[in-house]
Amino acid sequence: MMTFLRQLRGELKKLFSRKRTYIGYVVFLVFEAILLTLWVKIGRGQFQELAERNFIPVELLSSSLTASYWIMGFSMFLLGSIYFALVAGDIVAKETEDGNLRLVLARPVSRFRILLLKYCAVLIYTVTFVIFVGITGYAMAVLAMGSGGGLFVWNPELYILAVYPDTDEAFRRLLTGACFMGLSMCVVTSLGFFFSCLKIKPAAASVMALSVFFIDFVLQNIPFLANHKDMFITFRMANWVYTLKEQVPWEKVVESYAILTGLNISLFVVGWMIFQSRDFKT
Amino acid sequence: MLEVRELSKKFGGKPALKGISFSVTRGEIHGLLGHNGAGKSTTVGIVLGMVAAGGGEVLIDGVSVQKDPRQALRKVGSIFEAPAFYDYLSGWQNLKILVGLSESFDSKEARAVVEKVGLTERIHSKVGTYSHGMRQRLALAQALLPEPEILLLDEPTDGLDPEGIKWFRDFILQLRKEKGMTVLFNSHLLSEVEQMCDQVSIIRAGELVYQGAVGELRDDRPGMRLQASPEPVFQKVVAEMGGQLMPGDRWVFPEDTRVPEVVARLVSAGAEVREVTPARRSLEDVYLEHSSLAK
Repeated sequence: MMTFLRQLRGELKKLFSRKRTYIGYVVFLVFEAILLTLWVKIGRGQFQELAERNFIPVELLSSSLTASYWIMGFSMFLLGSIYFALVAGDIVAKETEDGNLRLVLARPVSRFRILLLKYCAVLIYTVTFVIFVGITGYAMAVLAMGSGGGLFVWNPELYILAVYPDTDEAFRRLLTGACFMGLSMCVVTSLGFFFSCLKIKPAAASVMALSVFFIDFVLQNIPFLANHKDMFITFRMANWVYTLKEQVPWEKVVESYAILTGLNISLFVVGWMIFQSRDFKT
Repeated sequence: MLEVRELSKKFGGKPALKGISFSVTRGEIHGLLGHNGAGKSTTVGIVLGMVAAGGGEVLIDGVSVQKDPRQALRKVGSIFEAPAFYDYLSGWQNLKILVGLSESFDSKEARAVVEKVGLTERIHSKVGTYSHGMRQRLALAQALLPEPEILLLDEPTDGLDPEGIKWFRDFILQLRKEKGMTVLFNSHLLSEVEQMCDQVSIIRAGELVYQGAVGELRDDRPGMRLQASPEPVFQKVVAEMGGQLMPGDRWVFPEDTRVPEVVARLVSAGAEVREVTPARRSLEDVYLEHSSLAK
């Protein structure tokens, strides 16, 4: 175990020593600021009528937690998916392309161990990145709107309309949601990782992962497939929002995350099998 | 120490190795010689478990690379042509990460090795700022950590300047002298192999065409390319002088024969000498000689 942790530290060191790793952080900060501005200027006004019709206190729309919820949801879907596919698509394919992997494979360490280390590193990266977005989104919202206030959650696709006037409860709920969202985003990472194990360029691995993600999303939203939504990855990924429902349907949440975990494991195993059968030479 | 048994490999249906076998005894420097594409790097790749063998087996100190690669590679250090380190990390961080994959990193041992390869001053600089020679020194350091019993060198001197090549050669020879290191040295440079190795295996188009002592490869007899006419006179004179036509149109004569003597005999016999060019034995000649001998 200690050996694994030492090796994992080395893998994380590589990941976090690259300058481009941090480009994503900067881009996200800018994107969060844009989303927050749009929410304050346009978004919350559009929800005002909905809130009034449902006897929901309008001031909840001006709370920093509600703003964080919208920022996280949009930024992760729009930019997070791209960013995680890029990082995970790079993790094996880039080292193969650059030739680093030959030095690694020449050491007495199994290919399974090498891949497991890389996979764990990108998963850690994904979850910590989502937490980073959550924290910075909330911090920006507090700066713009002040702290305190509750949380207003609305998701028409999952039929969720929830209100948490109590700040502590709202904060706890949003934190739980963020953790599940992190788990959801691990699917994009796993897709990127899987393609990265193939004999393709890093950019191709990222593009393939994104293609699968967006095709799945488009199919999920085709009207005649509305009754089969639960067959799609992106629908299951969106189930993190269930944890913000007043009565959390845990059976649905557990089912979705069991499926997503199974998918992640399958992608890793198939990626490993392909990687194991590959020849590495100049 | 290293035994390669009947290795074969195909890439896309094309045979890259056709059942080659050779062995390297402890403390020996064994050259693996061949042109680009001959199958040398494939052989090294299979020895390191990076390339799956189509058939055959590699044993390192009795442990099969194909059956138990982790155990087999414990005693191996390797260096490749143009080693690709993580450029954005320092040399020291690279060593820590690479060595840490298999062992706990011993800073004291690492410092000693870094000093030995002459990289102490720059070891904490980013590898991206290193010259090719410095990268090769770092590659040597990582190959020597932790202390291996056999070194696999895959065209390590390619791209090095003459000074760098000499330093590298002396370093390896010193290692063998001090620690009895076994070395498999893969190269396409006959001169390099001649200067470093005890034994040599020559691969051509995936086949082993020669295996033996390096000394046997040397041909100190005077060699030259000759053109003279008329042909019957030319043939008569060279035959009288003990000349032998080798592959690559190279004539060799008995050791005490001098080039002016050959020319004088031809002229005095009435031959018109059109070309006399001293010709050293090339790798191509060695190939051709051994392939023709095999036939």
